[in-house]
Amino acid sequence: MRTTLKRLLTAATLAMISLLALPVLAFASEAEEGGGSAMGVGLLFPSLGEWIPMLIGFIVLWVILAKFGWPAFIGMIDKRTATIKDSLERAEAARIESEHILEENKLQLDEAKKQATQIIADAKVTGDTLRAEIMTQAQEDARLLIERANSAIETEKKAAIAQLQSSVADLSVSIAGRLIGSDLNESDHRRLIEHYLAEAGNLNAN
Amino acid sequence: MPIDRALIRKKSTVYAQTLLEALPDDAARFAASGELEQVLTTTRGHLELRNTLTDHTLTPESRAAILREVFTGFREELLVVLSVVVERDDLGILGRINERYLELLEETLNAVILDVTTVVELDDGLRESIKKRFSSQFGKTVLLREHIDASLLGGIVISTHGSRIDASVQTQLASARKALVQKW
Repeated sequence: MRTTLKRLLTAATLAMISLLALPVLAFASEAEEGGGSAMGVGLLFPSLGEWIPMLIGFIVLWVILAKFGWPAFIGMIDKRTATIKDSLERAEAARIESEHILEENKLQLDEAKKQATQIIADAKVTGDTLRAEIMTQAQEDARLLIERANSAIETEKKAAIAQLQSSVADLSVSIAGRLIGSDLNESDHRRLIEHYLAEAGNLNAN
Repeated sequence: MPIDRALIRKKSTVYAQTLLEALPDDAARFAASGELEQVLTTTRGHLELRNTLTDHTLTPESRAAILREVFTGFREELLVVLSVVVERDDLGILGRINERYLELLEETLNAVILDVTTVVELDDGLRESIKKRFSSQFGKTVLLREHIDASLLGGIVISTHGSRIDASVQTQLASARKALVQKW
């Protein structure tokens, strides 16, 4: 960049010198054609007496600029170039960083998707397991309930049958007792006593 | 408590012996045993009477008077002894007194006393049959205390000294009922 500027500066200097040289050549041509008149086109160009101080001034200006202006300008340009380069590098780094972050985000997103899928799958498995457990428990509860109900029914049935048997037995005994009580006269009772006496065992003697 | 039992036995024996000696003859002693049994059954079966006869808010004389009032018609000797029992607050050992009286009476009479319960009154033939049946077993004279209980429905129940033969229709029916229920 710096080299390019130096070349441009050199080319500009040469062009300026060529340009400054042109009036002299023009003045010579006009002098030859018009007989040395200071009128016409010659009014547009400075005289040689003015041109030399201008040249000197230009050279002084050029030297000053070359000594102080151009380095500052080039320094500014370099600084600006460095700034732009740094900015570009930082932008590139930021872009790379962004791409990296994007990539990471993408990976994280993929991982999150995978995790979400896994969670859903796990939840489904857990749900299925839970449902199976609930079903099993419900079936077991129902079985126990039915078993208890059957047991209670069986117990009630047995109790009812026992009560019925007891009632029938009581009724039978009661009827038998009444028949015996009404049918037996004193003579019958005495015969019964004799009969039982004959069959009875001994009393335990103390 | 052994000491309590010995004391109760001693007190029971004193009461029983006193009653036995107070009565004029064997027939009266035997008849008194039935009355004593009746007093025992009545006091055991009537809570209010038992509570009254053991009520300490009443004077001993009042309790004895109530006893005489309830068992009017019983032998005077028996009522005298029982009045002392009530006055001394010994009604709780009346069962033991009855047992000792029977034991002493049997020793005095050299006999075994059987309680015989039937639905109808025994005739002489049955009495002799029972006496013959058990005198051979005990080797002693057998005396019968007869009781009538219609709830037996028929048959006979004989008991003495805690031993018992239950040949009643009521028991037979109860056994039949039990067998019937078990068979089902």
